Amino acid sequence: MEKIAVVFWSLILCGISGCTVGTFFERADTERPVVSTSSQFYEEDEIKSLDTIYFDYDKSNINPSDIAKFKILSEDLKKDSSLKVRIEGHCDERGTREYNLSLGERRANSVREILIINGISNNRIITVSYGEERPVSAGSNEVSWSKNRRALIKIF
Amino acid sequence: MKKFYSACLVLLFLLSTFSTEVLSQLKIEITQGTKEPLKIAIIPFNRALGLSESSVLYKVISKDLESFGEFIVIPPDSMLSLPKSEDEIFYRDWRLIEVDYLVLGSIQNPSIETKDINVTYSLFDITRQKTLYRGIIAGKTDSLRILAHNISDRIYEKIKGISGIFSTKILYVSKPSFLSDNYSLKIADIDGFNDISLFSSTQPILSPDWSPDGEQIAYVSFEKGRSSIFIQELFSGKRKSLKIQPGINSSPSWSPNGRYIAAVLSKEGNPDIFLYDLKKDKWIQLTDHYGIDTEPTWASNGKKLLFTSNRSGTPQLYEINLKSKKIRRKTFEGSYNARGRYSPDNKNLIFIHRQSGLFHVASQNLRTGKIKVLTETNLDESPTVSPNGNLVIYATRKEDRGVLAGITIDGQTKFLVPSILGEVREPSWSPLLK
Repeated sequence: MEKIAVVFWSLILCGISGCTVGTFFERADTERPVVSTSSQFYEEDEIKSLDTIYFDYDKSNINPSDIAKFKILSEDLKKDSSLKVRIEGHCDERGTREYNLSLGERRANSVREILIINGISNNRIITVSYGEERPVSAGSNEVSWSKNRRALIKIF
Repeated sequence: MKKFYSACLVLLFLLSTFSTEVLSQLKIEITQGTKEPLKIAIIPFNRALGLSESSVLYKVISKDLESFGEFIVIPPDSMLSLPKSEDEIFYRDWRLIEVDYLVLGSIQNPSIETKDINVTYSLFDITRQKTLYRGIIAGKTDSLRILAHNISDRIYEKIKGISGIFSTKILYVSKPSFLSDNYSLKIADIDGFNDISLFSSTQPILSPDWSPDGEQIAYVSFEKGRSSIFIQELFSGKRKSLKIQPGINSSPSWSPNGRYIAAVLSKEGNPDIFLYDLKKDKWIQLTDHYGIDTEPTWASNGKKLLFTSNRSGTPQLYEINLKSKKIRRKTFEGSYNARGRYSPDNKNLIFIHRQSGLFHVASQNLRTGKIKVLTETNLDESPTVSPNGNLVIYATRKEDRGVLAGITIDGQTKFLVPSILGEVREPSWSPLLK
C-alpha cells in the first residue's frame, strides 16, 4: 500500500507542474518526512512522549503554572540518557510570518533554558520554530489563538 | 481513508492546474474603484472577419485595463461608429460618448501551420485629437494571452507614463485549508491565469522572492524538519538549498544585482541579518544584536537594506547602510511596524502597521515620515509592491479564509483576489519580465 501511495503521489506531483526529473525526485523525498537535524535523525513514529505548554500573546516566558511539569519531565530524561528532546515553538496568526518565526524560536528557547536549569544537557535538546505556519486551531479569535501559541516538547 | 482523502485533494489540484483556462485559482474583484476612471474604447480587431483570435485579444486587453479599476472599457454596442482604419475615426463620435482614449488594431494573417500572428494597433487621445502610439507585435496563436498582455502594457504605459504590469507574474503559497499540511508554492500570471505549482510539500513553505532577472526564485521550506532557504530555477525546476546554519534560516531577499541573498540566521542564538554571497557560497553577518532582527529587503539601488527589529522593545523598521553599516530607525508611530518593502523609487515604505490591535498595510513617506494606513482589512500580511510602484497586493483573511487583496498605492482602488480553491498567502510580485 505504502509503495503504491508513493508512486501515485510521485506521478501526481510531477503532473501538477510538468516538472523535470530533477525536481521529481526532490519532491518524492518530501512525502515521508525524515527529519534531519545536524547528525540526529528521527521520525514522527519514534516519539515516546509529547507535552504541550501555552504562552501569552507576544510573550515567550514560561507560565509559572507549567514549571512543575518540567521538573517531572527532567527527572524522566535523567533516568534514560539515550532520550533526546525536540522542542517546537509556535505562534498565533497575528503579526508577520517571519517575525513570528523569531518569536516561536524564543518560545522554544525558553523551554530549552528551563530544561537546562533542571539539569538536562544542552546537546540532548533540539529546537525548531514553526512560527505561525502550523496552527492546530482555525478561527480568528482568542479561543483559537490561545491554542496555537504553544511549544511542543517531543521526547524520542 | 486519510490517503483517499488526500488523493482526492491532489486530484482537485491537478484539475485546477490542467484546466487553467476554465478555472484559475485567483481572480481579481474590484471592491472600491477609482473616483474618476479613464474611459477607453477598444474596437474589436478585424471585427468583420470574426476571427477567434480577435475575441481573445479583445477580452484579455479589456480585462487587463479594467482589472485594477483605472479604466472603464466602453462596450462596442454603445459606440456611435466602428472605424476600420485611422482615416475612419471621427473624434466627435468619441467625445460625444465621453471616451478619453481609443484603440484600433488589426490582425495580420494568423497562420494555422506556423501559428505565427502579427498584430498592428494604434492608440488615440480623443481630447487632444492625436495618435499617441502605433505599434506592431509578433506572437503565436497558441499564446495569445501573452500577446494581449504586451499590448495592454504598452497602452497603459503610453497613457499613464509608467510601465504596465499585465505581463508580470505572482508567486504565492496555497493550501487546501487553514489546518491542512499540504503546501504548494505556485506561480500565476498577474490576472490569475496559467497557475502552476512549482514545489509541493507536507511541510510549511513561506517567504518566496524573485531574482532580479525573474528567472529564479528563493523561498523557505521546512522539508528538512526546520526552516531552510532554497533557490530554484523557474525554467528547469532545478533547486538547491543555501548552506544551512543552526537555528532559523529564513526570510530570503535577492539583491538588485543578483549576487547576494539577504536572509535571517539565528545561529548565534538570536536572529540577525546576514548576506549570502552566491558567487562564493558563504554567509556574511550584517547585524549583531540580542533583539530580533528579521525581514530584510533591498532598496532598488542596492545600497541599503530595510529590516524589522525589536531592539527598541517593539517591532519597528530600521535601515542599514551597507557601506557605512550605520543603522537608522525609520518608523516611530505605533507599537508594531514590520515586514517592510521599499517602493521602487525608494520614496515610500510599505509595511504592516498595528492600529487598535488590528494589522493593516500602511505606507510611510520617507521625506515627511508620515504614516498612512491603506487598508480596512485586518490580519494583513506580506505586502508586495508592483514593479511600477502603483499597486500593492497583500495577504489577509476574509470569512476565516486566507485570501489575497490589493490596493493602489494612493489608496483609491481596493480589490480582492479570492481563491477558488483553498487558502492563498505569501504573494510575491515578479519584476518586469522580458
